[in-house]
Amino acid sequence: MSPVIEALELTRNFPSRSGWVGAKRDVWALRGINLSISRGETVGVVGESGCGKSTLGNILLGLDSPTGGGVRFEGKYLHDFKGAHRRQMRKRMQLVFQDPFGSLDPRRSVGAQIADGLRNHDVVPAAEIPAEVARLLTLVGLAPSVAPRRPSQFSGGQRQRIAIARALAPRPDFIVADEPVSALDVSIQAQIVNLLADLREELDLAMLFISHDLHVVRHLCTRVVVMYLGRIVEEGPAEQIFTAPRHPYTQALLAATPSLKRPAGETGKVLDGELPSPANPPSGCAFRTRCALATGDCASAVPPLETVGPERRTACFHADLTAGQGGLQ
Amino acid sequence: MTRAQRSLYIWLGLAAVLIAFPLLAPVLPLQPTIGMDIPHRFAGPSAANWLGNDEYGRDVLSRIIWGARASLAVAFGSAFCAAVIGTILGLLGGYFRGITEVLAVRSTEIVICLPPLLLAMLVITILGAGVLTLTVALTILFVPNYTRVVYAATLQTGGLDFVKAQEAMGTHPLKILARTVLPNIVPPLLVQFSLTVASGILLESGLSFLGLGVVPPAPSWGLMIRAARAAMDQQPLLLLWPSLALAGTVLLLNVICDRLQDVLSPKTAARGGAAWLRRQIKRTPDAPAPEVPLLKIEDLSVGVALEQGSMGLTKGIAFEVKPGETMALVGESGSGKTLTGLAMTGLLPNALSVTGGHAWFRTEAGVVDLAALTEEEFGPLRGNDISMVFQDAAAALNPVHRIGDQLAEIIQCHRPMPKQQAEAEVVELLRKVGIPDPERRIRAYPFELSGGQRQRAMIAMAVANAPKLLIADEPTTALDPTIQAQILRLFAKLKEDNPGMGVIFVTHNLAVVKEIATHVSVMYAGQVVEQGTVEEVFADPRHPYTKALLASVPESDAERLESIPGTVPQPGAMPEGCRFAPRCGHAAAACAAPQPLLDTGEGRTTRCLRWADLWKDVA
Ligand SMILES: Nc1ncnc2c1ncn2[C@@H]1O[C@H](COP(=O)(O)OP(=O)(O)OP(=O)(O)O)[C@@H](O)[C@H]1O
Ligand code: SF4
Ligand code: SF4
Ligand SMILES: [Mg+2]
Repeated sequence: MSPVIEALELTRNFPSRSGWVGAKRDVWALRGINLSISRGETVGVVGESGCGKSTLGNILLGLDSPTGGGVRFEGKYLHDFKGAHRRQMRKRMQLVFQDPFGSLDPRRSVGAQIADGLRNHDVVPAAEIPAEVARLLTLVGLAPSVAPRRPSQFSGGQRQRIAIARALAPRPDFIVADEPVSALDVSIQAQIVNLLADLREELDLAMLFISHDLHVVRHLCTRVVVMYLGRIVEEGPAEQIFTAPRHPYTQALLAATPSLKRPAGETGKVLDGELPSPANPPSGCAFRTRCALATGDCASAVPPLETVGPERRTACFHADLTAGQGGLQ
Repeated sequence: MTRAQRSLYIWLGLAAVLIAFPLLAPVLPLQPTIGMDIPHRFAGPSAANWLGNDEYGRDVLSRIIWGARASLAVAFGSAFCAAVIGTILGLLGGYFRGITEVLAVRSTEIVICLPPLLLAMLVITILGAGVLTLTVALTILFVPNYTRVVYAATLQTGGLDFVKAQEAMGTHPLKILARTVLPNIVPPLLVQFSLTVASGILLESGLSFLGLGVVPPAPSWGLMIRAARAAMDQQPLLLLWPSLALAGTVLLLNVICDRLQDVLSPKTAARGGAAWLRRQIKRTPDAPAPEVPLLKIEDLSVGVALEQGSMGLTKGIAFEVKPGETMALVGESGSGKTLTGLAMTGLLPNALSVTGGHAWFRTEAGVVDLAALTEEEFGPLRGNDISMVFQDAAAALNPVHRIGDQLAEIIQCHRPMPKQQAEAEVVELLRKVGIPDPERRIRAYPFELSGGQRQRAMIAMAVANAPKLLIADEPTTALDPTIQAQILRLFAKLKEDNPGMGVIFVTHNLAVVKEIATHVSVMYAGQVVEQGTVEEVFADPRHPYTKALLASVPESDAERLESIPGTVPQPGAMPEGCRFAPRCGHAAAACAAPQPLLDTGEGRTTRCLRWADLWKDVA
């Protein structure tokens, strides 16, 4: 199936300066990212904060521009669209935010905010807007009668449903969900994860799901990419990544994730050290400062993302040593 | 109509009455403002001239009313025009950035560099003196102030998620500005408006005095104040009247803007009132202290003071922590986990207070009730016997002091010792919590440390005096997975080093509970609903909520996650009986009565009266 959205060699630098007179150096948020997502597919992005997950989401949506490379939506480059065409394009791609409290305008009713997306793109005739808002609210499991209320009258989980209804209003083909459940309680998280899974099926959406909760990603996603300091270090079908990780960082990440199934008293292998600064990443493999397998080669060149199995790619010089280790309980 | 709206309308009504006088001046039976009456110079108030006569014998009352027309027209006119222009410039500059920003914002800043008087004179020389010119001059003067305020607010609001959501939806930028950004920057705009009107009235008086504004003998408040100052020794009252009018106007305007903000605010804030106005209630322990090994909480309740009395937030919290145990508090957000921790340390926010129950805690001097201590009595305990680690280390550390100094202070506060010795201890502590190169890091400021290191520094602070009880409120929630694992390992190590320390660990992550705690109290809607050892509770939950919570963790292979329908009831609208009843699949008639915490044997408790039936069915 042809992909809905593709990232081609995406690179994004944020210029920054250390101190007033310090040397100017770029923060490399993304480096050479290649990714494609098809209909009905949910791709999970995992990695530590600052590794570029949200930047990737923003660029795919056209809310930020890459420094290098490009994004293709249904085969056409986003940067070829300008002004009104660009805004037209936007209705096909939507965003669900992490913070259910900051993502809704506190001063306007939730119905009006959902209706914005309908009105902007004349999705339905003006007379049918209230009915369409009601339909969307029902779709995300809320009573249509809540439309006139302000966001402050809703709980976090309800707001997240409203934000999802708003994102669905323009009938998008592609959705980026940036940590949509991290701010929610476990029992509410489950409701939203189920909702996203249902919507994916019903509407045949392509979805990019950004999260640091590996259990949620495993449950919801069909494919997973693992990022470290702006690069994809591993990619593959979700179940394989979680049961048979190949990159040492993926293995460490899985080991660091607490689990109910882990026998009591047994703590995972703990990775030492801190995430290096993205403004001054290590030479060669960025993970080598924390990697137990690092050798001299790892400092001299960046390991390429190489195929290690059907649909599996990993970026490690010593991937032959890592097979059969680790995995999420 | 809400309270805030009523209050706003009352003040607006008052303002309307006052405005009516100058508006109706031509038809009011006022004395002439211009004709001189030399024999009555400086006469005091009389039946004919209520406020007396001025230096030319003119009636002061009618001059004040007529003067208001000029003064208020200039002040409000210029403040309003400047607000419109400045807001447009600020919005455009703050939203579009780049060249628009330079043109809109930076250019107005040139105006700020010019002396106000010079600028006003320039405008007036070009256009000639008079009320209209004065308004134009002041408008030019005020525009940069608005531009800057609106620019800053737009930058801030423009970065928020709901504005980004509008962009993602493809809304036209001008529509976003008008519909989404503008309403959200109204509060600073209102403040700026009331400030400029006040300064407009004052500037009008200065410029009129120089002959650049209202031309005498026509009255204005500014002219009157200037004239009265020269005649202060002959008739001090002359200064009083226009000053009162001026001060009254500014005050009224401030109140109205303030009320307007309340009305426009999306949330009607709960008013706690100033802290010092509330009575500091010292609760006397009504029970003799029992023997406790470390901490025993009995029936603890916390409430918030509202206008219409107090509202319960937590009710009937009860658990026990023995030396060496780690008690995890788990539950949904708003279930009262944080409040319970704060009540233990006497750090409840101002509007909240302990409304019942006990928290017995063993100190060197005997058992005390933490729930009944005053602020002074808490002093020696906090940071010494009991200490706390917060979720947000960045907010809990003082940003302007070096890490080492903050640690040394907490050590010396409870154990006086020379500076060198304290410093040596600090280095040792930082090493213990795993901060690399501690000799150098003690000179670091909090912002120079990474998130994980800041969390370590705060943990160092909490364990500096080897506390008997450590309370940690979601200490790993804000951290990355690999760093979170490091901090959890640090907690385990600290417990090993100090085997007598009891820990209360607040979290909403059940897997973390499994990793770190020996015992668990599950909280729901302000109550403990179940407790016991982690192993037993997780293997065999005896409350439907615990069971549902464990089932909703996305670790099973099930196609769909178990989710609990509905939402947590809000404080103030708690169900009479079992608080979980509206979401519970097993609710029966008997559940409509308040549920006590039942002992289920083996040191376990549950707040479900049907637990025995339900679990017999299962078995
Ligand atoms: N300052 C306050 N004024 C009024 N109500 C408050 C205040 N602080 C907390 N509350 C209320 O008290 C209840 C318990 O709050 P608490 O912060 O203890 O919850 P929590 O279990 O720690 O939640 P979370 O998991 O979100 O941290 C909530 O309903 C909350 O809204
Ligand atoms: S390339 Fe080298 S440093 Fe990088 S992950 Fe592989 S073994 Fe470790
Ligand atoms: S008391 Fe009744 S409603 Fe409450 S948890 Fe038990 S069965 Fe459910
Ligand atoms: Mg809390």
